[in-house]
Amino acid sequence: MVQQLANGVFAGSIYALFAIGFTLVFGILRHLNLAHAAIFTAGAFAGIELAVRFDLPVWAMFPAVAAIGAVLGVVLERTAFRPLSGRDDEHFAGLISSIAFGGVLIAVLHARYGTEPKSFPQEYFPNRLYEIAGVRVTLTQIVTLALALALMLGLAWLVSSSPMGRAMRAVAENPGAARVLGVNVGLVTAGTYALSSGLGAVAGALLALNLGQAGRGLGASIELIGFAVIILGGLGSLWGAMAAGLVLGLAEALTVHWLDSTWKGMVAFAVLFAVLVLRPRGLFGHVKVREV
Amino acid sequence: MSEPLLAIESVHVSYGRVQAVRDVSIEVPEGGLVALIGANGAGKSSVLAAAAGLVRPKSGAVRLDGRDITRWPAHRRVAAGLVLVPEGRQILGSLTVAENLRLGAYRRRRQAAPEAEMYDLFPVLAERRSLPAGSLSGGEQQMLAIARAMIARPRVMLLDEPSMGLAPKVVDEVFAAIEQIRRAGVTVVLVEQNARRALRTADTAHVMETGGTAHSGPAEELLSDPRVVKAYLGVD
Repeated sequence: MVQQLANGVFAGSIYALFAIGFTLVFGILRHLNLAHAAIFTAGAFAGIELAVRFDLPVWAMFPAVAAIGAVLGVVLERTAFRPLSGRDDEHFAGLISSIAFGGVLIAVLHARYGTEPKSFPQEYFPNRLYEIAGVRVTLTQIVTLALALALMLGLAWLVSSSPMGRAMRAVAENPGAARVLGVNVGLVTAGTYALSSGLGAVAGALLALNLGQAGRGLGASIELIGFAVIILGGLGSLWGAMAAGLVLGLAEALTVHWLDSTWKGMVAFAVLFAVLVLRPRGLFGHVKVREV
Repeated sequence: MSEPLLAIESVHVSYGRVQAVRDVSIEVPEGGLVALIGANGAGKSSVLAAAAGLVRPKSGAVRLDGRDITRWPAHRRVAAGLVLVPEGRQILGSLTVAENLRLGAYRRRRQAAPEAEMYDLFPVLAERRSLPAGSLSGGEQQMLAIARAMIARPRVMLLDEPSMGLAPKVVDEVFAAIEQIRRAGVTVVLVEQNARRALRTADTAHVMETGGTAHSGPAEELLSDPRVVKAYLGVD
């Protein structure tokens, strides 16, 4: 049981890291970016390729993956969202064009890596096993949890306390007023996508590292879980995404424990359903009336 | 005559097919206070928007200290010390008072005044520095909007309808703040519907009518110009 809970926490930290990038873009820009799962997948493949072809050690692989994700995020914003800004249906149109961007990205990954899953090199990461208070954890899991937590807390600090974060929150509330104050709204928008996609790509590489491999379906497998996390945490809430990611990881682990693993896939649906019925704002969401 | 610090040269502004500003030229000498008065919709705010870089003029030029800044984006103008206090205050209500002030210094970290200086100037803001700015009264929000511009230690401050919607006593406070800004050596362009107050504060003024300049001159002369008195000041 405790073992299952520990596994749930490790899985949950990846869910949270995936979701926090998605919810960041929504919170600041009100964009629903449905290419996030594709960028997650691209991050996984990028990590594997960097390890296989360039022998990049883990400590260098993650920053490189984050950088690749950030660049993809900027390209995504430039191609799928910025051309639509100012239109009446900007948000809905952006949602559609982000699906298209995600489709293109997955097709590119397919063309480059084929249909077979790609694997990290044997012994790329030391497969050490620790026993802490009767719970067995791998070094990979410890690194995963530590990295995910550090990145999420770093993001929360950035948004709440740094000049860049203040500018982001100013843009979130009133882009016109932010512009008057000298905030370069275009740059903040691009920066928000870079952050979001950088974190999403790292989450993908982390999951691949835990699985040892990545396939094209990696993003699709986490997408629904990610949405459940975001809805549960409250759309746009960073702390909500963190907490809800862990909740979902734990819920899955308990489902496996009490029922069996065939029911695991149902958890995200059940959580989504329950939240939408009982508390549509999510656990941490606020009712926000937006001025038009 | 020395070169004006801010010059608006035959600026035309259109929104779609609607022409909002037609051939307006304004020169603001360093340390001067120039008022723009006129009825609602006369194009006063559009002139400020063109100066601040929020709209691109169809033709004409904006110069700051002799440099052509017509094509500069808004954030670059703020960095150069040309700061707008927008109509309706545009306070960021979900951010705290202190965060609003820090955003005012966002582009001018090197030149910016210490936050404490703003709290000395506007003690009411000091008491509320950790509260969301949205919880302030209208008058307090206007003070915050002015403080947020002043913290940047601007060279030129563009004030758009700072007394709009405020109680008479608060209007007095706003004009007292404008006097202080002036004493601090900041060059000011003031757009006001309260024409009499504006003309008493300004050195020179321009009266705008349907997008163009109808009358210009020293503020004192306009105060006694019968045409201006009749149209904008009412009968005393």
